[in-house]
Amino acid sequence: MSVQQISVFLESQPGHLSRVLDAFVAAKVSVRGYSASDTGDYGIVRFIVDDPERAMQVLQELGAAATTAEVLCVRLDDKPGELARVMGIMAGCGINVTYSYSLISTYIALSVKDLARAEELLAGEPVELMEQHDLVRPIAPEGR
Amino acid sequence: MTVKGAALAAAAAGDFSDLPIHNPTIECASREQIRALQLEKLIEQVKWTYERVEWYRTRMDEAGVTPADIRTLEDVRKLPFTDKSVLRDTFPYGLFAVPLDEVVELHASSGTTGKPIVVGYNAHDMELWADCIMRLVQMAGVVPGDRAQMAFGYGMFTGGFGLHYGLQKLGCMMIPAGSGNTERHIQMIEDYGTTVLVATPSYALHMCEVGEQMGFNWEVSTLRVGLFGGEPCPPGLKAEIESRMHIVCTDNYGLTEVMGPGVSGECLAARDMQHIAEDHFLWEVVDPQTGEPVGEGEEGELVLTPLGKQAIPVLRYRTHDLTRVVTEPCACGRTTARMQKVRARSDDMLIIRGTNVFPSQVEDVLAGIEGVTPHYRIVVESVGGMDRMTVHAELKPEAFSDSFEEMEALRRSIEERLKGVLLVGVHVKLVEPGGIERTTGKAKHVEDLRK
Repeated sequence: MSVQQISVFLESQPGHLSRVLDAFVAAKVSVRGYSASDTGDYGIVRFIVDDPERAMQVLQELGAAATTAEVLCVRLDDKPGELARVMGIMAGCGINVTYSYSLISTYIALSVKDLARAEELLAGEPVELMEQHDLVRPIAPEGR
Repeated sequence: MTVKGAALAAAAAGDFSDLPIHNPTIECASREQIRALQLEKLIEQVKWTYERVEWYRTRMDEAGVTPADIRTLEDVRKLPFTDKSVLRDTFPYGLFAVPLDEVVELHASSGTTGKPIVVGYNAHDMELWADCIMRLVQMAGVVPGDRAQMAFGYGMFTGGFGLHYGLQKLGCMMIPAGSGNTERHIQMIEDYGTTVLVATPSYALHMCEVGEQMGFNWEVSTLRVGLFGGEPCPPGLKAEIESRMHIVCTDNYGLTEVMGPGVSGECLAARDMQHIAEDHFLWEVVDPQTGEPVGEGEEGELVLTPLGKQAIPVLRYRTHDLTRVVTEPCACGRTTARMQKVRARSDDMLIIRGTNVFPSQVEDVLAGIEGVTPHYRIVVESVGGMDRMTVHAELKPEAFSDSFEEMEALRRSIEERLKGVLLVGVHVKLVEPGGIERTTGKAKHVEDLRK
């Protein structure tokens, strides 16, 4: 159980990220989470969206350098210590999280080297893994 | 790549006998015949210029040289050099040697600073120019009946009309599409059965990419030949265009100040060399610092004296282009001297922390790296009194990886490769696909902010 992440190569310049986001809006692609990091000259922006296929099509039309990867998506309860609990489970299973960022509400995306192995290890653990379709609907105002 | 047409296929296999030679009397003459003809025309040219152009008469009088002093080809060295600044200072008509009502066409080169360089042609010059073009297009296998689509802008630039008139005179059907609107260009190739494309190499590559995105099948298209100009075409770029567009491409050399395109053209037997139209241009290769001739076949700055050109008869024009010229006969059957493709200009040279760097070197390195396109930009700055050179390299979409580690490894490997060739450290900046502007004129590759 995992979700698809889209990474885009972007120059660290005003307007470059917004050009991509505007194209997503025009194509009705909804961003459910993202992380932008840079090296000074360029950055990699990672997106989790409701419709990864359509998003990739949009990026190809823009001529952007983009690629997809599968990442774990975990839903946390909104209460103190929850993030520490989940990361503790990761550590306990010996899974190295290469990077992680939060999505809508209390969802977090976690990139790991061996996704299948991680899923196997986490199957018996008290973590709630999400699927792509879990991310489609907007969150109700009162939360879950 | 798929080579289209029997003559080009034979040439690709090393047999050039089916490719036309426009004027074999001149193009296949002996060295003695060529030199004799050049001397005869040089004597006439100097006389014509001295009698009609005050600027040259004054300079020659000051140097104590008269047209009668020109008795051998070597005597050309007694004449003053002409630099670009002379054309600028005499703008617009100061160097014209014929009455303006005899001039049938004006062209200009876009000066980046100040006034443009303006040149004029009378009917005789137009004939001469078309003759040069007819030679070089046939070197690339163009024949009467070919359909030539122009992707240069027309305007004042010599490239558009120069190629247009020459191709038309040869008997080609001209399709004067002009620059821009790439999708329309591709549609026209399809609709009109275009066989020859005239373009800058960077625009041809852009057209290739757009066509691929549109799903246009270059391999089965009617297009057979690409005639490039307007900017230098590095071998890696040409090879890429040839294999992706399935066409044979050549480029030619020329400059507005001495005529426009057509001074020399690439033949398919020696892709790095270009045959000079020696009956129309006397060439010299000189040391750019001293102006003295370099040894036979050695590299130096090309100096050109048009022979028989009447409206603007410049003498010993300093091109600032670095090349070497060889006079051995060529496998294509021609005997005219060949100049190596100009890869550097003496005034393009950058001095980075005391080291000479040519943009063409950067181009060569990038052409050999998988993950980036051949498009680039160089920015030179002074940071705390030290020169800092940044090369902007354009990432290919397929080379992108979702890992800073891998992207940095690619970036650093480009830096290493550049440092190995340039012998000076540079900073490489990766830019997005399409992030470097494609130009239809002279590609502006260098921005020097040290001033």
